[in-house]
Amino acid sequence: MKVVITGVGAVSGFGWGVEELCRGLESGATSIRTPSVFDVEGQRTTLAAEVGPPDADAQMEIDHLRNLSRADIFAVIAAREALVRAGLEGGGPRTGVFCGGSTAGMAECEDFVGRIVGVRPGKPMLKLLASQQLNGPGDAVARDIGACGPVVGFSSACASGAMALGAALQAVRSGEVDVALAGGADSLCLLTYSGFNALRSVDPGACQPFRKDRQGLSLGEGAGMLVLESLDQAVARGAEPLAELAGYGASCDAHHMTAPHPEGDGALAAMQAALKDAGLEGIDIDAVNAHGTGTAHNDQSESCALRRLLGDRSPEVPLTAPKGALGHVLGAAGALEAVASVVALERGAVFPTAGSAPADSDLHIDLVLENPRQLPPTSQTWISTNFAFGGANAALVVRRLV
Amino acid sequence: MTQQENLRERLKRLIIESLNLEGMTPEMIEDEAPLFGEGLGLDSVDALELVVALEKEFSCRIEGEETTREAFASVSAMASFVDSLNGSTLSQA
Repeated sequence: MKVVITGVGAVSGFGWGVEELCRGLESGATSIRTPSVFDVEGQRTTLAAEVGPPDADAQMEIDHLRNLSRADIFAVIAAREALVRAGLEGGGPRTGVFCGGSTAGMAECEDFVGRIVGVRPGKPMLKLLASQQLNGPGDAVARDIGACGPVVGFSSACASGAMALGAALQAVRSGEVDVALAGGADSLCLLTYSGFNALRSVDPGACQPFRKDRQGLSLGEGAGMLVLESLDQAVARGAEPLAELAGYGASCDAHHMTAPHPEGDGALAAMQAALKDAGLEGIDIDAVNAHGTGTAHNDQSESCALRRLLGDRSPEVPLTAPKGALGHVLGAAGALEAVASVVALERGAVFPTAGSAPADSDLHIDLVLENPRQLPPTSQTWISTNFAFGGANAALVVRRLV
Repeated sequence: MTQQENLRERLKRLIIESLNLEGMTPEMIEDEAPLFGEGLGLDSVDALELVVALEKEFSCRIEGEETTREAFASVSAMASFVDSLNGSTLSQA
């Protein structure tokens, strides 16, 4: 069974919507800047890809969403956009929600505690605790669209969003659901911001994936949601498929709490599994949407795995790393990057990797810089990867329908 | 303003303040309008917040699902509930 993506929705540092995301990525600029959600003074970096205030229309929509966390709101707005794009009115008994995330309403819990101890203004309102559970954003989406099929949360650090998409793919294939709303959502919070700062995993400036002088990642926030269904169903109801979600693979390094396997053993296994699932091989890959966090370890290990997968072709397969523009959106990264891959496929181009430093030539990859690169019309297959703390790896194969 | 009107005004302010209903004024809340679902459109999280606020404001305990549902049906119902509390509690509040 071919499973297709018929709708995409996004909230990112570039704004509220897929169009904003696309315009931002195409420009080669970054959305990483000084955040306003909390005080970042004294940290190793004072930057993040924060989601800015919405326009008046989006604000009206948000005003109707009571007692939701920031992450819940990102998820709901992205899901609504994806549904509209898919031409669907809402959920139903055969619609499932598969949502990745790592901190859900943690930012609101921090606010609650801060108000109690008097370091944040305002009353410690109970609603700030209402969505602290990791399943919060997925549940909020299900309530909002009326999805009464399975609603499942995924939390495998930075691979969560991709793993949610993988599970959704399998649920559509197995017939468990007719429609899957799948993706991820995360908001900036002090726990992860201070945590990555304390680990010295952050670049003091905006992150520079696969660059020679990369110093670490930049955090971001947002959500990506995709509508998955069978090609047959999409055609039958007259929907226009945007792309095929052809394969999914996952693995674990079983190696270290935070560091990836130096030669990328697990990353390679996940990519191979995704290709096998799609009935394809390394030679079929036309472009790579890399995890590319901008840490010395990740980019080294990831490029090593890609060299092993692509062989001699490695320096010629165009690669982009959206985290230079979007920051690391943790549990939503895989989902937002899958949306980015879908829109890039539609345009037949690879978006540039934001950042100004030259590429690290030791990595032997074809890093797309500065401007979008148009791909030949024959190219149709992307691989999108996410490699997380704990050694959790996930890869998705996305194809243009021909 | 009668004592009843005073109490209702005070409850409306309590609702607005405890739920942080930005842009809302007491005049915009009708005495008999349902607080939950229709009307003001509050949800169960708001209910929890309101119970805590009312308990604090009037130094009382609100127990039981039935009591809570009745007491928070509308501003008028809240006022009747507060009236039913003993006088000494009210005069302290």
